[in-house]
Amino acid sequence: MKLELRNIEKSFGEKEVLKQISLTAEGGKAFGLLGRNGAGKTTTIRILMNVFPANAGEVLFDGEPIDYNKVKLGYLPEERGLYPKKKIIDQLVYFAELKGMNHNDAIAAVDYWLDRLGMMEHRNKRLDTLSKGNQQKIQLITAIAHDPQIVILDEPFSGLDPVNAMLLKDVVMEEIAKGKIVLFSSHQMNYIEEFCDSIAILNGGKVVLSGDLHDIKRNYPRNRLVVRSLAVDKIKEEIGKRCEKTAEDELMVYLESEDEKKAVMTSLTEHYDIDEIKVFEPTLNDIFVEYAGNQV
Amino acid sequence: MKQFGKIFKFELKNYLANKVFAGVTIFLVVLLAVVMFFPKIIDAVKGTEDEGDTTPGELAVMLVSDSDADMTEYVSAAFEEAFTDYEVKVVTDGADQIKQQISDGDAECAFVIDGLSSYTYYVNNLSMYDSNTEIADAILQNLYQMHAMAESGMSAEQIQDILSMQITHETEMLGKDQMKNYFYTYIMIFALYMVILLYGQMVATNVATEKSSRAMEVLITSAKPVSMMFGKVIASCLAGFVQLLAVFGSAFLFYNLNKDSWGDNGIVASIFDMPIELLIFMLIFFILGFVIYAFLFGAVGSTVSKLEDINTAVMPITMLFVIAFMVVMFSLAGNSVDTPVMVACSYIPFTSPMAMFTRIAMSTVPWYEIAISIAILVASVIGVGVLSAKIYRIGVLMYGNAPKPKDLFKALKQA
Repeated sequence: MKLELRNIEKSFGEKEVLKQISLTAEGGKAFGLLGRNGAGKTTTIRILMNVFPANAGEVLFDGEPIDYNKVKLGYLPEERGLYPKKKIIDQLVYFAELKGMNHNDAIAAVDYWLDRLGMMEHRNKRLDTLSKGNQQKIQLITAIAHDPQIVILDEPFSGLDPVNAMLLKDVVMEEIAKGKIVLFSSHQMNYIEEFCDSIAILNGGKVVLSGDLHDIKRNYPRNRLVVRSLAVDKIKEEIGKRCEKTAEDELMVYLESEDEKKAVMTSLTEHYDIDEIKVFEPTLNDIFVEYAGNQV
Repeated sequence: MKQFGKIFKFELKNYLANKVFAGVTIFLVVLLAVVMFFPKIIDAVKGTEDEGDTTPGELAVMLVSDSDADMTEYVSAAFEEAFTDYEVKVVTDGADQIKQQISDGDAECAFVIDGLSSYTYYVNNLSMYDSNTEIADAILQNLYQMHAMAESGMSAEQIQDILSMQITHETEMLGKDQMKNYFYTYIMIFALYMVILLYGQMVATNVATEKSSRAMEVLITSAKPVSMMFGKVIASCLAGFVQLLAVFGSAFLFYNLNKDSWGDNGIVASIFDMPIELLIFMLIFFILGFVIYAFLFGAVGSTVSKLEDINTAVMPITMLFVIAFMVVMFSLAGNSVDTPVMVACSYIPFTSPMAMFTRIAMSTVPWYEIAISIAILVASVIGVGVLSAKIYRIGVLMYGNAPKPKDLFKALKQA
């Protein structure tokens, strides 16, 4: 399974919200859609969900224009909310039916997920009697109960306690293992890093960085060294290169080019008592700040 | 279509399971039961009272004082015949004594007659329904005429003939009996007005609630806006119809149970004798009128972010509807249902449900006019439905301030 967005453009009135957005997400892998607030993530998702059409561009599923009558999508919106005054089982079955399930299948699927998420005891309660985290678990069921090929999760972990976050992680892993396309949108970079094989960073309605996360990291300039030592202050004074102390009391040394890496490393280990020295690999957080930091 | 069915079922269940909905319906049915059983209840209460009242000698006393002794005999005889509810006593007391007796409660009322052409009527509390003076006027006029004719030499038989002459007449109705149709037209228009305003507001609130609780985020990605809009509106229409049916059905049932007690009350009888063809027109215009307004209310509901804003947002629609209602009501009251304004209104989709129905009920409208009016209305319902679904799709995703009509039109053009 493969989902492609090609050159999607969208404007609201005079405002151009999406400019030539292209993404590719594959089945059995998770895709991270990143971007600061207002970068165009939700609009991209809405176009993908067929809430409104794009002004230009196309959405392809396995190379063909997506047929929304055949391809099922599940969506956990960032703005959570269902019917607060309705019985949980009733509304979950309703949403599953809206997505095309018949009544009995819907009940069976909802019951399976209520059980899986440990919410069976709340089955016949009103939604607003539940805590926020539990309401979120209920809402997750609306996104996955109908067994969609494409699952879109917008900030799925916000508001969950560690135990529930773990449970959700397992569920997401299962969905990925089933070969589904899982689209993540989150500001919690650690989760994206944990799940997502590929990412796209949006900034000002454009894709500013996209591709395989490992490749992105590997291709990042390897011109920084991280030095752990008890003598970091001394090194800092004597090394004669641009460097700064990190929050963890490590020293970040900036090299002019990757070529001097070996020489600097050797020289450091010879002259000082070094505990650890390695090439700095950026976290997703660092990459994100670099690419999305200043709004285009 | 499948989605529409699911949405329709879900929304209808919402209404029918709603405690307020059930409560209002039951309240109305009970209220109508009380109204319809009223004559029977009154009869029952009165019946027991009357038994005590009928013993002779306990009739209210009416005093008659006549300055002309010659006439007293005729007058008192005529009064006794006319006022069977009273014990008529001829007195020769002065006005002060008569007044005293009435204040003391010894007599209920008194006629002090100055001649055949004038009298003074004394009574303690003048009841709203006191028709004694009218009866007395007729008696005295009659006596005066007889007296005058007798003086001019006519025989008693001739006088009798002249005075007892009755004029007979027959009415041949070529159009509608407006008198008879007036009341049920009035009731039907009023019912239509109430139901549309009530349910329109409900549809708007329903949409706005989904939006403000953000259930919309899931809904809009699960179902097509057109299915959502039509499902909601038609469900509310059916719910309204069920409620009306419960109310009018029970009224009809209660009326038939109490038909004898209502006797020949023409107004009530005319309401329940509505011709079947009118009922069918009522149904058609009710459904179409309801749906077209419900679409508008739904579309407006989708543009507000907070429930508090609904009342302001629906104001223009409510105003439009109230104006339509006023025009129809004034025409109905003024008995001028075929004025150019009404004719125009009976083609405009937002006024035609009430205007055309009123004209059909109160006047004679050619079939093609009705057909044109219904055709315009049906086309408008579909058009407004699709348009409101578009507004809905745009509206539900707009948070913050309610969009101005100008912005909406812009967004619509792009959609």
